[in-house]
Amino acid sequence: MKVYKIAYLGEDKDVILALERELKGANFKLVAAPGDYNGIRKVAGLNPDLILWDLDNDPEPESFSLERFRRADMKGQPVICVARRGSVKSAVRCISSGATDIIFKPIQEPFIPRAAVALNIGELQKRLNWSSSVIDDTNNQIKRILANLKDPAYIVSPEFHILYMNRAAEEIFGEGLRGGACYTVFYDRSEPCEVCLKSKGPARWRAVLKNGKTYRFVSALVTNSSGEPEKIAIGIDITPDQEVKKIHKTFISNVSHDLRTPISTIDQYASILLDGLTGELNEEQKKCVEVIRRSNFRLFNLVENLIDANRILSGDFKLRMEITSVREVMDLVLDKLKAQAEDKGLKFEVEVPDELPRIYVDKARIAQAIANITGNAIKFTDEGRVQVRAGYMPRDEGRIIVSVEDTGIGIPREDLGKVFDLFYRVEGDRVYVEEGAGLGLSISREIIRAHGGTLWAESVEGVGSAFHMTLPVYG
Amino acid sequence: MVDTPEASGKKRILIADDDKDLVYALSLRLGAAGFDVICANDGEEALKKAVREKPDLIIVDIRMPAGGGFSVIDHLKHGLTTRDIPIIVLTAFDEEDLKERARVLGAKFCFRKPFNDREFMDAIKSAITRAP
Repeated sequence: MKVYKIAYLGEDKDVILALERELKGANFKLVAAPGDYNGIRKVAGLNPDLILWDLDNDPEPESFSLERFRRADMKGQPVICVARRGSVKSAVRCISSGATDIIFKPIQEPFIPRAAVALNIGELQKRLNWSSSVIDDTNNQIKRILANLKDPAYIVSPEFHILYMNRAAEEIFGEGLRGGACYTVFYDRSEPCEVCLKSKGPARWRAVLKNGKTYRFVSALVTNSSGEPEKIAIGIDITPDQEVKKIHKTFISNVSHDLRTPISTIDQYASILLDGLTGELNEEQKKCVEVIRRSNFRLFNLVENLIDANRILSGDFKLRMEITSVREVMDLVLDKLKAQAEDKGLKFEVEVPDELPRIYVDKARIAQAIANITGNAIKFTDEGRVQVRAGYMPRDEGRIIVSVEDTGIGIPREDLGKVFDLFYRVEGDRVYVEEGAGLGLSISREIIRAHGGTLWAESVEGVGSAFHMTLPVYG
Repeated sequence: MVDTPEASGKKRILIADDDKDLVYALSLRLGAAGFDVICANDGEEALKKAVREKPDLIIVDIRMPAGGGFSVIDHLKHGLTTRDIPIIVLTAFDEEDLKERARVLGAKFCFRKPFNDREFMDAIKSAITRAP
């Protein structure tokens, strides 16, 4: 059982006697020392659990303060002041200066219950001190992390006032700008940016800052001590990525230019020969030139598809959004898909209800995605049917779901997660694939994602597959 | 009598492209269609011939040595004797902003290589007949 050390700092023999009498036999050990500097030092060395301070130690009891204990390296133990009976003023002064309790001398009442309460308070105080030191440490650590970040970071109030900027942010925007409106200081605007007006929660955005570099920002909301949500934002310099993107774009543009030029020349000369501009060809010669032309056209399609795939997969494409309907999108590809299916002797069904809400999409791109997925379905189905269906999901802000289902070979269970990967092909692919195999589904997924939708697949091997995409409803 | 284009009533087309094979193919096709064809293989030559030969139509490539297509169009559209000659751009680039730039500078049509022969010939006829 723990023995509590109680230190009496004072020289009143009656107090010492009274305490000794009461604490005898209990789990307490009394230590007495004079209330001078040496006495305090000596007691501090014993690390007592409770201190009794006799106010008679000071010629002016009103000057009581905990400071002298702190100076003597005491560990913030609870302090009970011992005052002469009737000196109420001193007693009040002690309490307001940080003493835990006060007892009057000569000591007549039982002391142990008072000591127990003071010890409990001391224990609680210790825990409180520990917690607040942890909080302080964490706060300082967070501040140090923010301050030392190479990336700009700042905190703004709900009213868009800058509360904090780290060094990296000050290097970009200048010092002494706290209190200013973030949209003015950072972006020279007269009103808050749309991203902050639109999203009340965490957000992501991209911005070109005053140093000419491009940053991707992420922000989070943190509640301050008064319960208000402050926004903390950190920007990451993505200028190098942008430059690589630019080089990539120029490269692709030049390569495609240089690929198209000879393709175009071959096509021209084949046409000239076929049109008889250099003299009539015989049937055999015509057949040969037609093969040249057809192969050249296939090469052309391959090049165009690769360039297009590259653009889409690197995110370098713009959507031409318009208000349209699933039916209008389907009309763009329906005839071709129907012919493809019927060529293989498959039933091709399209179910698009008239009352579906309008959609807001890039018509050509969505048609491309539907054609890719349906084309796949036809390719991998030898008998049965391919069905395209559209429906409305009122959940959230409302979405249209378009599903393409087939009775084809299906996708092996272990491959279901991989079908959207670049260059994925079903093992032992027995179907001849004209256009650069393995890009269609990746491209389709990027297109659907760019519209804020989702594309996913279900399949049972040997039974069939279903691909579903969601599209944004207009309004 | 000398068979000059003026005398024969043939319309004259200037083709400016550094791809000589393509220029030859076009001149075969356009010649067969009854046009008188002159050729230039760079921007500078194209401008000189445009002034000297006064063609009824100019077909110009975008990427050429000694002054690319845009600079040629710009010069032509600011020249007193050349500003009314219709221009058709023929390029292997397919960036939308290039086509837009060509249109803004004053090109009548913009074709991307490889092109559809019939559409191309229709555009040539329409550009020449609509020219003032």
